[in-house]
Amino acid sequence: MQSEIRLKSKPRLEDYEPIVSKSCIEELRALARKLSGKVVQIINSTFIGGGVSEILGHMVPLFNQLGVDARWDVIRGDETFFEVTKKFHNALHGEKEKISPQDFALFREVTKQHLEELSFYGDIFFIQDPQPVGLVAKKKEVGRNWVWRCHIDISKPDKRVWNFIRQFVLDYDAAVFSAPNFAQRLPVRQFMITPSIDPLSDKNREIDQNTVDSVLTKYGLTSNKPMVVQISRFDRLKDPLGVLEAFEIVKKAVDCQLVLAGGTAADDPESEEVLEEVRRRANGNRDIHVLLVPPESDLEINALQRAATVIIQKSLKEGFGLTISEALWKGKPVVASAVGGIPLQVKNALTGLLCYSVEGAAYHLKRLLTNPEYASWLGQNGKEHVRQNFLVTNQIKDLLLMFLAIGLPGKSSDVVHL
Amino acid sequence: MTSENVLVEWLTQCWLWLTQNWLHIVIPLLVFLAAYVVGLWVRRAAYRAFNRWAARGRWEGSKLVIETTRGAFLHWFLILGAFLAIHASGLSAPTKVLADKILATLFVVSLTWVVASLSEKVLRLYIAQVEPLQPLERLLVNIARAAIAVVGALMLLDIWGAPTTPVILVLAAGVLVAALAFRDLLANLLSGFQLVQGEQLKVGDFIKLGSGESGYVAEVTWRNTKIRGLDGNLILVPNNRLVQSTIINYGRPLKKASKPFRFYTRLCLKELTGLKARNLKELLALLREVPESVIYFHTHHFLEQHHYLIPEPANDFALWVSDELGEETLGEKLASIDTFEFPTIDALRARIEGVISDYLAQNPDGRAVSEGREFHFIKSISFVLPTPYVAHDLREFVEVLRQISLNSLNYHVFEARLRLRKGVNDFSAWIEDCLGDRDLAEKLAYLDPYNYTLEGLRSAIIQLIEKRIK
Repeated sequence: MQSEIRLKSKPRLEDYEPIVSKSCIEELRALARKLSGKVVQIINSTFIGGGVSEILGHMVPLFNQLGVDARWDVIRGDETFFEVTKKFHNALHGEKEKISPQDFALFREVTKQHLEELSFYGDIFFIQDPQPVGLVAKKKEVGRNWVWRCHIDISKPDKRVWNFIRQFVLDYDAAVFSAPNFAQRLPVRQFMITPSIDPLSDKNREIDQNTVDSVLTKYGLTSNKPMVVQISRFDRLKDPLGVLEAFEIVKKAVDCQLVLAGGTAADDPESEEVLEEVRRRANGNRDIHVLLVPPESDLEINALQRAATVIIQKSLKEGFGLTISEALWKGKPVVASAVGGIPLQVKNALTGLLCYSVEGAAYHLKRLLTNPEYASWLGQNGKEHVRQNFLVTNQIKDLLLMFLAIGLPGKSSDVVHL
Repeated sequence: MTSENVLVEWLTQCWLWLTQNWLHIVIPLLVFLAAYVVGLWVRRAAYRAFNRWAARGRWEGSKLVIETTRGAFLHWFLILGAFLAIHASGLSAPTKVLADKILATLFVVSLTWVVASLSEKVLRLYIAQVEPLQPLERLLVNIARAAIAVVGALMLLDIWGAPTTPVILVLAAGVLVAALAFRDLLANLLSGFQLVQGEQLKVGDFIKLGSGESGYVAEVTWRNTKIRGLDGNLILVPNNRLVQSTIINYGRPLKKASKPFRFYTRLCLKELTGLKARNLKELLALLREVPESVIYFHTHHFLEQHHYLIPEPANDFALWVSDELGEETLGEKLASIDTFEFPTIDALRARIEGVISDYLAQNPDGRAVSEGREFHFIKSISFVLPTPYVAHDLREFVEVLRQISLNSLNYHVFEARLRLRKGVNDFSAWIEDCLGDRDLAEKLAYLDPYNYTLEGLRSAIIQLIEKRIK
């Protein structure tokens, strides 16, 4: 049942020095030395697909290069179990889900199986999201230092599901959330650690103009007009129809084009419907390009973002919204809704512009399209903001600190001399 | 015939030959003796002059020249005398040619010996003065000996009529191959010699290379120069590269501090307190009860997060009050609180509380934000770590300051003063206490760090110290 992931070769730690500075990497090494000899066992529910596995895929090799013995295991479950955890996930997000007592019973039953099947060898157990949350039952047997990492916005959860999950969370030594408003009041220590992007991944690394041009050609795009781009799944929560409306307002004043690029999710039947609706709405307008991008098209997404004049993310609801950091990292001006974790990434009028409505989005788009110098200033600030706060090295630093913090004996001081 | 008769007969013939050819013997003999006498006289005069010159200290190797050549000098006059005597004699031409070759051979052997011996002594004299070459003394002496022996051998071959061109070609090819194979080695060797003889570097000098490395010259070897960096690491720079790069040599260290300055860095972890405020009253109530580390976080994190962007940014309370509550007047008042004025976090907290209380007294019906826009109180946990960087004087201090992370700068300037309750930044304290430079310490203490971006602050401190060093 247990799968320890073999990781493909990843960038070396030294490769990050030109991006985040040598002293930053030196500090990571100094921190990592303090965890020498400890094994960090990371457990989640999947190693392919999804934001969590993507982040772990970047982080675990870097932990190892730092000398931290981090190992990644996954729990397994059948389709029924994951249907239940999917419902839990949605309910924690605040969506209405029909959850029966049998679902809770199944969760407990499968968790028992995981407890029997998994080997618990870590000195620190770092459990990701609700699926493996129940593994903390092993704490009495294997010892302390259990951390639950919640990647979900649980600010307005379904109470029944949250109370069910909460009883497990209470046994942890600490919980980690991505934003302050994602958290719940809990009697355990709670840390804020934002997710991150990897500046050396295909989605974010520097690419040359030829690559950008070839992607534009592939999708029948030209750069003869300013380009407004939204990259996101075709999902109502990403409000693609709102983006179209905003674009139509902008188009009256500025000659530009719109690119809506994203994929559809196999587990979301509504996404096909949304895509069709967007296509119908865009029909006839040659300046609107609706692109269905296949999964694993990281380099193409990268190219589209680099080709953009302005990047928009007009979500109605958002998790942390790392796509904003990806856009900012390309030095592009961003207009984004003030939802979820977006305000952490976009400081209004400093690293981008926040909007609250279709009209607001249109107004900001016009400002940026007609003021390239201002747009460029915002873009550069945004890139620097990501460099300081949302790169993988930053997240590693926070996690190392958190592992150290939970290992400190007793009630520790707020200034810790290592 | 008896043996006596034979002897008498032989002597008679000799006497007869002598009476007929006495000039053929006496003249060469006189020439030989004259050459010897002239040789003695020339040697005396020449060495007397040379000694006078040497006494004026023109060249430290002069004694070696005298010691090595004094005996040989007379031998060379004897050879010259023999040469003249032979040519003044009545010997046959082929005999004279043979004698010339023998004398030339003796001269070349003697000269080669003297030159080799002198070269060895002069080399040893100079190598003793050039530390990086000392490990190579034996090698260099042997190379010199071999080169002189080869030249001597070539001269002998030439004297005896043997072909020398092929030998010279082979030797030249060998030298060329060796030079190519060891070109880096030679380049480093020559560069090391150049560095030391040119007095460009001395052990103990503080230098900075164009490529950015800086530190003290620990050793100049025949291949590399070892530089001890301020983080304690040893940097090996090939001499050849060193000669080609731009070097700033600051010379010897400045006044040493009574205690070195150890640079620390600090990394922050954000801990959620779970406390949140929806309106001003809740904000004020929670402000009064949260730990100091929460106040510190909300008055400094924007500065840290956007240090590249804005000098003196507003605190989180001011931003939330303006942006979320829409109380712009209060927001402005909170933003204008000068953190630098306050020696402790509690004093700063009291001022923020006071400003909000005053505002609430006049505007009791404040607005509340909608769900999701609350002010979340966050605690900053600082983890302080030593860095490898240590400064013993102001020059080292400046160089380290250029290299440390902004986290380190933040710790010594902001956290030390306010959070660790030292009342003054660490740099000022060290400069006053350990270097006794009160004037500079005061300038640094009065520098308002909140008026700068962090990089701007780094530059401002460096400029102040550099001005003092000059």
